[in-house]
Amino acid sequence: MKYALRINGRDHQVDVDPQTPLLWVLRDYLGLTGTKFGCGIAMCGACTVHLNGSATRSCRVPVEAVRDMAITTIEGLSPDHSHPLQRAWLANNVPQCGYCQTGMIMAAAALLAERPKPTDADIDAAVTNLCRCGTYPRVRAAIHEAAGQAAADSKVRA
Amino acid sequence: MNAAVISRREFLISTAAVSGGLAISLLTPAAGGAPGTGPAEVGPWLTIASDDSVGLRIPNPESGNSVGTFAAMLIAEELQCDWKKVSVEAPSLNRDVREGNSYALVNGTTSAWSGRSTTEKTMRQLQQVGASARERLKAAAAKQWAVPAAEIEARDGVLSHGTRRLRFGEIAAAAATIRLDSEPAIKTPKQWTLVGRQYTGKLVDQKIVNGSAVYGIDVRVPGMVYGAIRQSPVHGGRLVSHDFAAIRNMPGVLGVVVIDPDAPRQRLKTPANDGESFAQSAVVVVAEHYWQARQALDALPMKWNDGAGARWKSTGQVNAAVVAELEREGDKIVQDLGDARGTLAKSERVVEATYVTPFADQAPLEPLNATALYTDGRLEIWHGGANSVQSFMVGAEEAGLPLEKVHQHQTLLGGNFGRRNFSDDLRLAVAAAKQFPGRPVQLIWSREEMTRQGRYRWQTAGRLRAALNDEGLPQALLTRICRTGYGIAGIDNIAYTKFGLIPNCRIETRDFPLHVLWGSYRAPGYNSYAFMMESFIDECAHAAKLDPLQYRLKLLAECPDPGWERCLEEVAAQSGWGNTLPRGQGRGVAISNWGNWVSKDPQSGTTAAAVAHVEVSREGALRVLQLDLAFDCGQIINRDVVTAQMQGGAIYGLNMALNEELNIRDGRIVEGNFDEYPMLRIADIPRINVHFGALTGHARFSEVGEPPVGPIGPAVANAIFQATGKRIRSMPFRKHDLSWT
Repeated sequence: MKYALRINGRDHQVDVDPQTPLLWVLRDYLGLTGTKFGCGIAMCGACTVHLNGSATRSCRVPVEAVRDMAITTIEGLSPDHSHPLQRAWLANNVPQCGYCQTGMIMAAAALLAERPKPTDADIDAAVTNLCRCGTYPRVRAAIHEAAGQAAADSKVRA
Repeated sequence: MNAAVISRREFLISTAAVSGGLAISLLTPAAGGAPGTGPAEVGPWLTIASDDSVGLRIPNPESGNSVGTFAAMLIAEELQCDWKKVSVEAPSLNRDVREGNSYALVNGTTSAWSGRSTTEKTMRQLQQVGASARERLKAAAAKQWAVPAAEIEARDGVLSHGTRRLRFGEIAAAAATIRLDSEPAIKTPKQWTLVGRQYTGKLVDQKIVNGSAVYGIDVRVPGMVYGAIRQSPVHGGRLVSHDFAAIRNMPGVLGVVVIDPDAPRQRLKTPANDGESFAQSAVVVVAEHYWQARQALDALPMKWNDGAGARWKSTGQVNAAVVAELEREGDKIVQDLGDARGTLAKSERVVEATYVTPFADQAPLEPLNATALYTDGRLEIWHGGANSVQSFMVGAEEAGLPLEKVHQHQTLLGGNFGRRNFSDDLRLAVAAAKQFPGRPVQLIWSREEMTRQGRYRWQTAGRLRAALNDEGLPQALLTRICRTGYGIAGIDNIAYTKFGLIPNCRIETRDFPLHVLWGSYRAPGYNSYAFMMESFIDECAHAAKLDPLQYRLKLLAECPDPGWERCLEEVAAQSGWGNTLPRGQGRGVAISNWGNWVSKDPQSGTTAAAVAHVEVSREGALRVLQLDLAFDCGQIINRDVVTAQMQGGAIYGLNMALNEELNIRDGRIVEGNFDEYPMLRIADIPRINVHFGALTGHARFSEVGEPPVGPIGPAVANAIFQATGKRIRSMPFRKHDLSWT
């Protein structure tokens, strides 16, 4: 099946099976490899993208379900890492291996769009991505920093 | 041989002019060219181009602990270049092999090409490269200006003398012709201005946050096809049959490759243990796209002969068998000081406990994968292995080619924790690619495949018996460990045993081979053994009716390494040890060391102590509120990176203790994905405080990534005991009923 997809503000044509998960369309057909494969069952969040602005785990979304949606991947968040979250990520040296971080940033970006000043509880609820390196304390600190608020007494890094 | 090139120090440096710039290489005498020709110009470590850009070829793959960036900083520190103009790439192993092993032979394959760059030798080597280049630049400028080189200053990529200035790029070509009488001395840590002083994250971080960083799974090669794999569900089993006809017409399917572990193969002396890199019996479906390969693999009828492993029907059966073995004397006596058995037999105050820890998977977030292109007589591979040489050699083994015919591209690692040490994933990709000559094949494991086909932290049982003296301290300790796997760090390298602080001490191990494959981990085995030892010491303290912290300090009174006491005192002071807590809360302490077998010096490795503060509801719901860590790795280079590694290590150790367990059913690993193998998420993470006050400043910069995973589990278990009165003697803790009244 041929699909016209609107990704990062640009139109893309792909010819794929309707059930193909968006993750693999992005990675294998369109070369957008910033969206990662981690588990394939929407448990880890490495594949998080925005569908009409909502954080969504793309490994379980068939391509036919996203035809009419605006899709944003990490490549479209800001290519020059100028998004406040990307800047906060760099300022706090958040990444370790880095593999989960694009999904983490996309989840956090959707949260900030909805709640510009998230509480720790908001972060707990919205950023449920897995990180095996244990960057969580800095992820939290960076989200607060990007939100322009002091991380006073929140569970941030030593 | 040109005597002027030979260093008076331990390295040989050679220079060459390349494209109007300078290239510096480093080699050992053993790595010289053909007899009589002198050292060849081999795979340069450092190049300076006429535009001032500095290219460094760093052999340490980056898996998240900053080793690659750190290696580059050590060179740049000496070079005095502009750090912003530094770029890093992996050196060519193929060229290295063909031209004299500049990288591998200088340092030995394992350490030079893997995730460590703070060993003393590696550090010196990196620094020498930078210092040698700097002095040549200075000497070239001195010649041009007719001034003594010693009067020239090098800073931020500029040479200066009075009002005169030269950029590195302007003089680099001239520097390539300089011969030094002797190689310069390198800086002492106190003289550093970049390393440990200015840190702006890893060089790759900008690419990580915008999604352009390339991990193995992100490699894209023109004409590439994809493979999905299924290995024998019971390790060691064999494929009986499969029915390709059933999937032949599915979209995109190109073929099926059967991988036969029994086929004859070339064997080379690889850096990592051989067995872990061997192929399992496997089927690979190759298709135009990965999703198509996955769908077809799931639809492919396969029959397996499970082999001997199938006799293990359940985890309970395995556990019972391993624990039963503890009744028998060990097949290896690791330590036998005094008369532990005799003292125990006569003692009236005996404490005994048995502990069990299960198989656990490293579970790096990037699924295993590798890309291979095989053409007649040539292999090209792209792989995020933890050790480039391992990937390189395993590729050659599987392709049946000499190393000179293998071209390897190192990528980033999406997590390692030991799982990427062996390159078994690469071997299987090469096996598949051999059947599709001329087409690059990217083989990607599903998460389920990865969890079930691991090289695990092994299952272990341990029994400890202590005879307490009048003070309540262990007069004798008998430890029996039954397991498969590597050493028993956490038991035999702990101050109590290592330094003879328990006068009668016997440690026995007994092998228990299972069909389940095992390998490295974030401190393999140590997390299990530190859990056993430090839980047991806590049980002894309780039997002696002494405060667990004071008890350890008493036991360590004669410890020749002051780091142990300092870690305990620091972590106690910072964590509020001894403050009264409400009912249902508790604090626990533990201490251990990772790495102290590298030296006879009592102060070696990294000692880490943890205090856990937990809360347990009456219904038994556990919440870890806070973890405090103090450590002694000697000296630190980068406080920010050390903090990150300590935080990450604490979280890793916490997940291991609370959550991780692989079960066996009919010989197979049960758990497949994160729904069955739970991981801590951001909401579960306690406050983690990393304290630097216990550093003794001993000579080494010992590693910090692995040490913290040891004391976390026992500290939490000991805290649970304080909160509930319940002793936890097996992992994972989530399986225990912690309710109390």
